[in-house]
Amino acid sequence: MTRQTRVAYAFLAPGLLLFAAYRLYPLLEGLRLSFTNARLGRPLQQWVGLANYTRLLEDTRFHVSLWNTALYTVASTLPILAVPLALALALNRGRLKNLLRSVFFFPFTLSVVTVGLAWLWLLDPVVGPFNYYLRALGAPARSWLADPHTAMAAIILTTVWWVTGYYLVIYLAGLQDIPRELYEAAALDGASGPRAFVAVTLPLLRPVLLFVVVTHVIGSFQLFGQVFVLTNGGPGDATRTVVQHLYETAFQNFFQFGAASAMAWVLFAVILIFSLVQFRLLRGHTEY
Amino acid sequence: MSERENGVEGGTGGGNGSAGSPARRPRVSRRAFVAGAGAASVAAWARRATAQGKPTITYWNGLTGADGKVMDELIDQFTRDSGIRIEQQRLPWADLYAKLQVAVPAGEGPDLALIHTVEVPHFASDGVLEAIDDATTTAKGFRADDYLPATWQGGTYQSKRYSLPLDVPQHILYLNTKVMKEAGLVGADGRPRVPGSRDELVTMAKRIASKPETFGFAIGTVGPGRYTWGFHNLLWQNGANIYAADLKKAAVAEPAGLEVAEFWAALEGQHKIAPPANANCRDAFIAGKLGMWIAGSWNFTGLREAKVEFTAAPLPRLFKQPVVWAMPHQYTFPKAKAADRTKRDAAWAHVRWMTDHVAEWTLKAGQVSASRKAHSDARITGDPVLRALLSQAPQWQVGQPTPKWVAAENLTRPVIEAVYTGQKPAKAAMEDLARQINALPD
Repeated sequence: MTRQTRVAYAFLAPGLLLFAAYRLYPLLEGLRLSFTNARLGRPLQQWVGLANYTRLLEDTRFHVSLWNTALYTVASTLPILAVPLALALALNRGRLKNLLRSVFFFPFTLSVVTVGLAWLWLLDPVVGPFNYYLRALGAPARSWLADPHTAMAAIILTTVWWVTGYYLVIYLAGLQDIPRELYEAAALDGASGPRAFVAVTLPLLRPVLLFVVVTHVIGSFQLFGQVFVLTNGGPGDATRTVVQHLYETAFQNFFQFGAASAMAWVLFAVILIFSLVQFRLLRGHTEY
Repeated sequence: MSERENGVEGGTGGGNGSAGSPARRPRVSRRAFVAGAGAASVAAWARRATAQGKPTITYWNGLTGADGKVMDELIDQFTRDSGIRIEQQRLPWADLYAKLQVAVPAGEGPDLALIHTVEVPHFASDGVLEAIDDATTTAKGFRADDYLPATWQGGTYQSKRYSLPLDVPQHILYLNTKVMKEAGLVGADGRPRVPGSRDELVTMAKRIASKPETFGFAIGTVGPGRYTWGFHNLLWQNGANIYAADLKKAAVAEPAGLEVAEFWAALEGQHKIAPPANANCRDAFIAGKLGMWIAGSWNFTGLREAKVEFTAAPLPRLFKQPVVWAMPHQYTFPKAKAADRTKRDAAWAHVRWMTDHVAEWTLKAGQVSASRKAHSDARITGDPVLRALLSQAPQWQVGQPTPKWVAAENLTRPVIEAVYTGQKPAKAAMEDLARQINALPD
């Protein structure tokens, strides 16, 4: 090992140590726990092989959670891609760009609990303003979060409202990076607004789109906060997600750390597969 | 050098330390300064010695509502009386329990914790709580005769005592005077009528709900669909329970349990008397959109603050017996890594002091005490709501003493919500719930 390499490792060491202590070790300890019947507070734990994993095959609530999570991921991806992009395009040339960017970004500075509680009240079936105005307009009021047909849509709406500002900023940065000359060249070739968007903007935004989709999908699979505050997985299990199921198994239903760790590893595998597929699909001709 | 000494002096002397600072007394002589500094050091040492004699203890509780402020006031008073300082950590109950389960085995638990009765069995069986022997209980002046049986028994698990009850959060029936009046459901004295049976409750509730956007009856504070404590209350009224008497197999799918589940399903779906599954019933009651409301006793001080015109009545008999759900708060001593006699004694001193001053707690926090002594206090019996709460005492019932109770309750929540919203038929749901409860690991 050269002196230079040693120095490099010395500088990397603090970061690597922290990574090992706070990321790698818990990850591997979780893997070990997933093969035991560990329960928090019980000193003895036994090796149970794949029992926690085979139990997941029979755990209908886990299946429902997995399905709900996938549904949320798929259903929320399009609005998360489209709404901030549309706003970014509108803001990109506008005069009030900086002001509006801050306005749209503001919700993202709020914690998920604050956002959840605010929307919980807005959508409250009895005293919430949302239904109040619906009634005033002559439309029937409904309990959005207590109706299994609308609860997930309400959660998606809340999330879109919450994170749009964040993705908007990313899209705006991506749009600013596209050289103006390309649009000028496109204009000379007779490509106007929509054609230029398809031929210039979208291809050059590809890395940004990839980033948005991948981070959103990973975040979606870990969806917890909004659901926990807005519906607690309800009505029934209609909006129950994998992370909520995992959390309850670990911290509410008898502290079953072994079973919960198995769920975490299954979730990890699912996210990994999805991410690999996305990279493959969207990599294309992207130049980084 | 002197600056540094002054700095140190200022630190150890607390708030008064800076009085000796040369900046304030520029013309002080060196001798006088040294003498002054010495005297201040002695004073600081004396204060430390006093503080050492009276320890500081840590106390975890979940009193996040208005009752937390009352607890703060009483603890200040306790510190003034005893010299013992208490550092409280206050977090939502569910988080508190998860934290206890993690912190205590790691030796990071508090000296004292307030928990709900149904948490005692699992914390006791997991070795989180210190057992309290009879000799200690008696020596500290706690006797079974001073308490109501449901509360005193709730502090034990497998014949061993792990906790001492403080107060009794419980259900009560709130009646919104304005809403009841508008529905013509008041007596000759102008007071709301109290339903005497399930049928009468439904009939009265339908009359109230005939007015648009108004609900006749609800059980539960926020999210009536998943209000397990209300569901438990109805189960107990019907002589049913979550577990069979041997505490091994689930009993929710037995006929008495099914009957309750059917009623639960009918509240919003068939009778159309109750608010949606996720409604905030407290806000609805305050807004004059809910007539009859079974909810926790912890709500009534808030209703008074909101200036709602209401009366409180003992829980009506909706099934076979007028049982009242109760969930006494219990004082517990989590296991410490190394026994600290002084701190344990200080924790006991606080429990004793609170028990002796529980009337203040009842009056300010609105929770009636587990100990009988305060029940005859004229200030308490003079309050109509507290009087109604006390009159229910013979009907109090608590959760079953199994370590799996809380886990079973968590499983119950989404199932009864699915019943309430009509997502699942009552019978299938209860059978599914029984299966889930029976599958809980040992």
